[in-house]
Amino acid sequence: MTDERFINAPAEEEAEKASNSYLMSLIAFVGGLPLPIINLLATLIFYTGNRKSTFFVKWHCTQALFSQLMALPLNSACFWWTISIIFTDEKIGSNYIAYAITVIAFNIVEFIATMHTAIAVRKGRHVEWWFVGGLTNLIVKAP
Amino acid sequence: MVVCRWFDQSNCESPMKKLLTEFILLAILFFGTWYGLSRIDWITLFKIDRASADLEQKIGDLLWKSLKTSEGEITSDSVLLPVNILLDHLCKKNPIDREKIKIHVLKNDEINAFALPDNHLVIYSGLLLACQNESEFCGVLSHELAHIQKGHVMNKLVKETGLSVLISMSTGNGNSTIVKKAIEQLSSTAYDRKFETEADLTAVDYMINAEMDPEALANFLYRLSDESLPEQLYWISTHPESKQRSVKIMEVIKGRTFQKIPVIGSLKWTALQNAIRQNSE
Repeated sequence: MTDERFINAPAEEEAEKASNSYLMSLIAFVGGLPLPIINLLATLIFYTGNRKSTFFVKWHCTQALFSQLMALPLNSACFWWTISIIFTDEKIGSNYIAYAITVIAFNIVEFIATMHTAIAVRKGRHVEWWFVGGLTNLIVKAP
Repeated sequence: MVVCRWFDQSNCESPMKKLLTEFILLAILFFGTWYGLSRIDWITLFKIDRASADLEQKIGDLLWKSLKTSEGEITSDSVLLPVNILLDHLCKKNPIDREKIKIHVLKNDEINAFALPDNHLVIYSGLLLACQNESEFCGVLSHELAHIQKGHVMNKLVKETGLSVLISMSTGNGNSTIVKKAIEQLSSTAYDRKFETEADLTAVDYMINAEMDPEALANFLYRLSDESLPEQLYWISTHPESKQRSVKIMEVIKGRTFQKIPVIGSLKWTALQNAIRQNSE
């Protein structure tokens, strides 16, 4: 994760909106824990609403969306694996527990990164995530 | 190190290449962590096996105590001795730990046998009277032993009753209605078709290993499914599609020859049935 100044200093309103895109995924993270798709939907709705916004807002909405997209398959696999253990003949094993711990660890790192980004972006600083930031750079082009 | 940003693309490596490298590193980090953690024996570490064994034992004892008080148990040696000889023989010839199987014969006209958690095997006197010979009885016994050995009993109970209810039962919070319902589920409803087929095929193997005639199980299923179904035929009514199962068993053993060595013999089998009649009066 890199923390730096953006090409142009964002206005107060822009910083607030961009920060909200991360807050959206943080709030949804709590509510969406049992159903991983909820996190993605919340961020997607916020992204859709801000597609036509300024570059700074659009860039951070996209990064927030990609971060959720990246977590979705990992969380979904964990969710459905758990369901299959509860409702089918699938047995709980070391592989499952290891996977669950790994996913939880990744989610904790993502949660902390999201909180840090929300705070930094609210102050007008630009934060690019490892891989997700690069992906966002490819998709969201400067005006 | 050169930092590549969207607003300054000069003197930096291709963004795609950088992205791919980051993705690969991220994937390695994730799968590496998963692989590393999976090397740890979490099941032993968290004592999951021990906890589930304790739960099974508590549930098994609870259900058996409840069943024992509602139905009369036959404790006569003239009944238990030959039944135990047959069970010992099946266990000895197969990888089944005889010590862990707790066999009970109950006074009940229903033609039924079922397994409870913690390796309790319940036989109704009606079943012993309905079987024409020791091989038929051993066929049913093998089928129930297969359910125990394959872990079907707790699996069914967890699926149908729910783990939280079972844990609550094991801590003494289960009321008699839940206990009765659990017994009913295990004694009067069939397992999944997959489990029933697996138990049938395993029973055939057990009988072959024990030098008994596996055709007897098929015959028993076919004979009882062919008759008009009286209320007492619980084992058949709770094990649907008996004819198809009988045919399936016949297909599996078709063309094969087996050693058929009697274990207690027909005289002792008749004596056992007479003892059952005396004890049921």
